[in-house]
Amino acid sequence: MRSKECVAMILAGGQGSRLGILTQNVAKPAVPFGGKYRIIDFPLSNCAHSGIDTVGVLTQYQPLELNTYIANGQPWDLDRTNGGVFVLPPYTSAEKGEWYKGTANAIYQNIGFMEQFNPKYVVILSGDHIYKMDYNKMLTAHKKAEADATIAVIEVPWEEAPRFGIMNTDENMQIVEFEEKPENPKSNLASMGVYCFSWDVLKKYLIDDEADPDSENDFGKNIIPAMLGDGLKLMAHRFDGYWKDVGTIQSLWEANMELLDDKPGCDLDDDTWKIFSRNPIKPPQYVGATGSLKNSYTTEGCEIYGQVEHSILFEGVTICEGATVKDSIVLPGAVINSGASINKAIIGSDAEIGEGAEIGSKADDANSDYNNTKICSADITLIGPGIKIGNEKKVAVLSMVTDDIC
Amino acid sequence: MKNDMLGVIFSENPEASMGELTSLRSLAAVPVGGRYRIIDFMLSNMVNSGILKVGITTPVNYQSLMDHLGTGKDWDMDRKDDGLYILPPKDTGESDVEAVGGIERLAGISSFLDKSQQEYVLVTDCNTICNIDFDKVLESHLENEADFTLVCTKVKNLTPKEARKHILLNVDESDNVTDMHVYPGHQVTDLSYMHMFITRRESLMELVEYASTHGKHQISKDILLPAVLNDQVKVCAYEFNGYRKKIDSIQSFYKVNIDMLNKEVRDELFGLSVDNPIFTKIKDSVPTKYAKTAEVENSFIADGCKIEGTVRNSVLFRGVHVGKGAVIENSIIMQDAEVMENCLVENVIFDKGVILRSGKKLVGQDTYPLVIGKEIVV
Repeated sequence: MRSKECVAMILAGGQGSRLGILTQNVAKPAVPFGGKYRIIDFPLSNCAHSGIDTVGVLTQYQPLELNTYIANGQPWDLDRTNGGVFVLPPYTSAEKGEWYKGTANAIYQNIGFMEQFNPKYVVILSGDHIYKMDYNKMLTAHKKAEADATIAVIEVPWEEAPRFGIMNTDENMQIVEFEEKPENPKSNLASMGVYCFSWDVLKKYLIDDEADPDSENDFGKNIIPAMLGDGLKLMAHRFDGYWKDVGTIQSLWEANMELLDDKPGCDLDDDTWKIFSRNPIKPPQYVGATGSLKNSYTTEGCEIYGQVEHSILFEGVTICEGATVKDSIVLPGAVINSGASINKAIIGSDAEIGEGAEIGSKADDANSDYNNTKICSADITLIGPGIKIGNEKKVAVLSMVTDDIC
Repeated sequence: MKNDMLGVIFSENPEASMGELTSLRSLAAVPVGGRYRIIDFMLSNMVNSGILKVGITTPVNYQSLMDHLGTGKDWDMDRKDDGLYILPPKDTGESDVEAVGGIERLAGISSFLDKSQQEYVLVTDCNTICNIDFDKVLESHLENEADFTLVCTKVKNLTPKEARKHILLNVDESDNVTDMHVYPGHQVTDLSYMHMFITRRESLMELVEYASTHGKHQISKDILLPAVLNDQVKVCAYEFNGYRKKIDSIQSFYKVNIDMLNKEVRDELFGLSVDNPIFTKIKDSVPTKYAKTAEVENSFIADGCKIEGTVRNSVLFRGVHVGKGAVIENSIIMQDAEVMENCLVENVIFDKGVILRSGKKLVGQDTYPLVIGKEIVV
């Protein structure tokens, strides 16, 4: 195996339980986003554009769809003779076999994988954020500062700072303190979950961390504090682009809707930094004589005969005559039958909404059996993948529908 | 499943006259249907039929075609065994490359034919737009124990002018072709040969060798017709009556694109129900953005467009920008064209990258659409 200066590892094993039914059968990084993408397209495309050609994707929770999606990595130019993309599930060895216990343990279990490439640096990424970032800039800064670790940070509004891991830095952007979700933050620089480590340093800390039975084997909770405690040089690398965690239904909905803004935070229409994805093999979209689309994003294979406003339609969606879709996200292959009305909802892949049905209804007689304010907020209604809603049925706002309603 | 047949596609057709659209590219590379090139249909048909080796003859102007096909990975044809072969001409001193017939083309790829392992070969033109299962044609070829199987289709009410573009077949009740009329003065039968045939690879090589050393040029007149007339050779017909349209003029090009606005045509042509999709080069365009001011009606629109104006009865390719107040009707707008604010465009074909400055009007006739060449700024 030829040596690689830098190897990237993407943590893609999380369940993403706050996305409810959307992650029932797929890992969070495989959740569709932005009309034709999946969340993992963002870190993978960033790697491709940053010149990182050796990428490990650590999977654990519901990996089948994600595995098939990544496959040989061809859409991201990661089908390489030297390097490429590797899906890395947990495995058993002669001594033992275990699940990934935490983010650090997942990397620890793949020390052998990384050693094959004899890397100088390792970039650790999470598979659940929407952003366009040049990791090479961060690596250059890391090398220049002769740091042991460099952590990407983004300024967040002060009132939101208590929700994040906050880095307190000195005037040279060297990290002096790390606080996980501090009540009274001293800084508003939040960790983006994007780390660059010098490999020999990280390797030692991973081995030590594994030997500590009290450790939670987590980067934020264990590895970073241990490095700071030992006085290593940890630098913060400021990122000032768009970055969004899409861990909840509300943030997923918002991040999608922000694409429709006149000046979208994450501009996908960027020839210098295209987000690559595994494209469906579908013909162009067709808009019928009765169809209308306003302020919307649509893609290949859609057939639109109804009214669509401020919405995102994924590949192969059918909107029948007389149906209205507003402020909504319709995932691949879903069918909205005639006269149905969809209001501020996320419609799962291949779901079918019956004629005249109403999703996100505020009527008194609407079906509220599936009310779920733990998952849904901000008046968003969620229809699970493959769910069928019968004709004329009304589904109340804030529902998460997990069974057919006939 | 894989079959024992090799595919050969001609990227040019001397009978097609496409004017401006083929001045810089081969016929096979002409954009069609929003995100495709003409070649995508025949190549995808072959791939979907289980053909694992396809050679494309590229006598002239093949830069854009090669750019489009690349290694063939978008058709899953980047293979160690077999796969896609682009076959540019050898330097034979032949200067008038466009005038030579199919026999010279096949003679020019004799080493490709010779080195192939497949028992059968399918030879087709590139410019018929259809979704056809060639495995079924091969099945019928084997069942009939035929020496040749010609794919043909029903035609009716041909005017004498139209008839002169057809090769019409007489077929008996057991599908044997009994006679063949090459470009007749009027419609003599109702079956037209679609310029696709199957035969044994080795016998094709022998026939091509004989014909090319005897001053022959045309496959139809000099190979197929003698076979039909020879009692010792069994020539059968395979009838295909799905949607099919030959692109051989600006008018037929325009018609094929407009036909795609019809749902039945779309469903059949793009193999949506039978899972025989048409593959093409992937561009990773963003989804199409419809602005608040967009008015779109009966139109076929590829990804990567930005629509702020009105589009009716039209086909938009990837990355087209329609400005505010602009109106596009009954038009074919190819990749990356820009129609700025308050323009009016009717019955027009824009080649790639045309820019129409604000407030301009361009109106063609529905029977004779206006063609604006590649990257022209109006």
